[in-house]
Amino acid sequence: MEHSVAASIFNKNEAKVNWHDKALWFVRHKRDLSVHTVKGWEQLRELGSAIKAHTLSNLDNYLVEFEENALKNGVQVHWAANGEEHNRIVHSILKAHQAKKVVKSKSMLTEECHLNPYLEVDNIEVIDTDLGERIVQLAKEPPSHIVLPAIHKNKEEVDELFQEHLGTKPCNGDPQYLTNEARKHLREKFIEADAAITGVNFAIAETGGLVVCTNEGNADMGAHLAPVHIACMGVEKLIPKQEHLGVFLRLLARSATGQPITTYSSHFKKPREGAKMHIVIVDNGRAEQLSRPDFRASLHCIRCGACMNTCPIYRRSGGHSYNATIPGPIGSILSPGKDLKKYSSLPFASTLCGSCSDVCPVKIDIHKQLYKWRQIITKETPQPAMKKMSMKFMGRMFSNPKQYQKIGRAGRWALRNLPKGLINARPNVWGKERDLPKGPKESFDDWYKKRNKNGK
Amino acid sequence: MIGIKKEIKMGSRDSILANIKRNKPDLLPLPEINLEQFEDSLDLVEEFTKKVEIVGGNVFNLASKDEVLKQVKALFPDTSHNYSTVEGTSGFNTISLEALQRPHDLNDLDVLVLESLVGVSENGAVWVSSNQLPVRVLPFITKHLVLVLNKSCLVPNLHHAYKALNGIDNDFGVFISGPSKTADIEQSLVIGAHGALSLSVFLIA
Repeated sequence: MEHSVAASIFNKNEAKVNWHDKALWFVRHKRDLSVHTVKGWEQLRELGSAIKAHTLSNLDNYLVEFEENALKNGVQVHWAANGEEHNRIVHSILKAHQAKKVVKSKSMLTEECHLNPYLEVDNIEVIDTDLGERIVQLAKEPPSHIVLPAIHKNKEEVDELFQEHLGTKPCNGDPQYLTNEARKHLREKFIEADAAITGVNFAIAETGGLVVCTNEGNADMGAHLAPVHIACMGVEKLIPKQEHLGVFLRLLARSATGQPITTYSSHFKKPREGAKMHIVIVDNGRAEQLSRPDFRASLHCIRCGACMNTCPIYRRSGGHSYNATIPGPIGSILSPGKDLKKYSSLPFASTLCGSCSDVCPVKIDIHKQLYKWRQIITKETPQPAMKKMSMKFMGRMFSNPKQYQKIGRAGRWALRNLPKGLINARPNVWGKERDLPKGPKESFDDWYKKRNKNGK
Repeated sequence: MIGIKKEIKMGSRDSILANIKRNKPDLLPLPEINLEQFEDSLDLVEEFTKKVEIVGGNVFNLASKDEVLKQVKALFPDTSHNYSTVEGTSGFNTISLEALQRPHDLNDLDVLVLESLVGVSENGAVWVSSNQLPVRVLPFITKHLVLVLNKSCLVPNLHHAYKALNGIDNDFGVFISGPSKTADIEQSLVIGAHGALSLSVFLIA
């Protein structure tokens, strides 16, 4: 389904869209307040970007260094070329441990690989332990945001879900009560778990260690209780040295939610006594993205979600409208690299306002990459006849100033004089859901010339 | 399309590394982190206290380590499952880690008191590592967490914190900033998700 079609479904409930829009803008606002108190914030972003660019330019060597050190730490390292191989590896580790009950903390990579359904086929229970992820798991939905997975659900919906699945009492969506009940329910799961799966925020070549960030403590509750801990990471999670964590941990939570740091930033290096630790390193299209000079900076991403919170399209269309594991602006530059046809509408789900690039903690030029994907998609995938025609027409109009002025005059006149029904007639998609402004009497060009004539 | 595809058939490790090697750009420089650009000359204790409170914790100023137990008892007078690693507080302990069969048996722990050697003013984070942590799950599974820290262990920001940690070999370590929390239900902040329900930091003069 095209993004615009899916977005129009989300837009049917106007009150909910408005709430969604405001809630995310509020998170963006908290980000602003938080970063403005950090001296040298822009230099910090520069550093984050430059460290990531350097790491990517030496990634094969850093991966080898990381593997070597992880092995020295007593951790087993596995390599997966794609999602299928990743799932097979995780499954085989679980089988070797006879693990039937698995707790998993947030990992967009395992979402990308569709790990849960793969394991469930073999009757392995996988419980997502981040509260937001547990909510969407109970609702049999994918996360709609990478940091706030259930941001599209209101508390009444959570109330109903918990009544149905956890046997809670009706509570008018009281967040305190619902969270407490989830804590009890998931505490049981932590205690029973045979294995814990976590994502990875940063993997450090120098030490072979990895860092996992959560606010809830769910990654730690899983990993420190279960006999085996499996950490799944994309190749781009590498950073060269431990000291670089100083840069990225300062950037991450402030950009994500405005917190100065997540509650827990856990540094795993060696397995605890008597337990096993595995790391699965996954490519799944990342090496290919690295080959594209225009798009390789998308691999800098540290998954803070700031570009989603600020995006006027994301806020009003919801994460599910992107129909991709990573929604929003960053997802719209990552996804076409995986499947150009399937995701061909995503780079157009943007006003190219550039707000995403402005807030990105590692300075990915997101809006420029969206524009570049558009160039490729327009050439390589079939475009609707109406769009092709109007593009040709506009191309001609803009290349001929006289004609442009003439048509501009006619357009302004029409916007002043024609009835609304005619202006907003079906072919004009700009008239959908909104009224066009009244046409001004003079063009910018007229105004500018007049202004110059009147002395400066 | 653009880009280079086609994997050469090898084990996945080698093919992944070979693809990356082929596709990566020319080597770019690794920047130095110049700490001066981040110096904000704020008062360390004041800033640390403010940040711990922002993230939902409480700071108590103590004249010496001898006051730790008194303060803990004032905060948690009626708890039955207690554990402390602070020197001279073993009378407080109601559980024995030596007798512990599996970490799961800590599920009833009410109060845990741990020592730390690094606190970070800019974000209220306190470093707890396996060197001070007999069982890793302790600070997460406990209902209430108390972290004890000398004022002289405060550093302005994470860059300084990692400098202080450099060369110290930890099998596991964690920065803890406040009690566990979530805002996953309609963005309403709820303290006490899976980890500790409360966090108190004792700053020793």
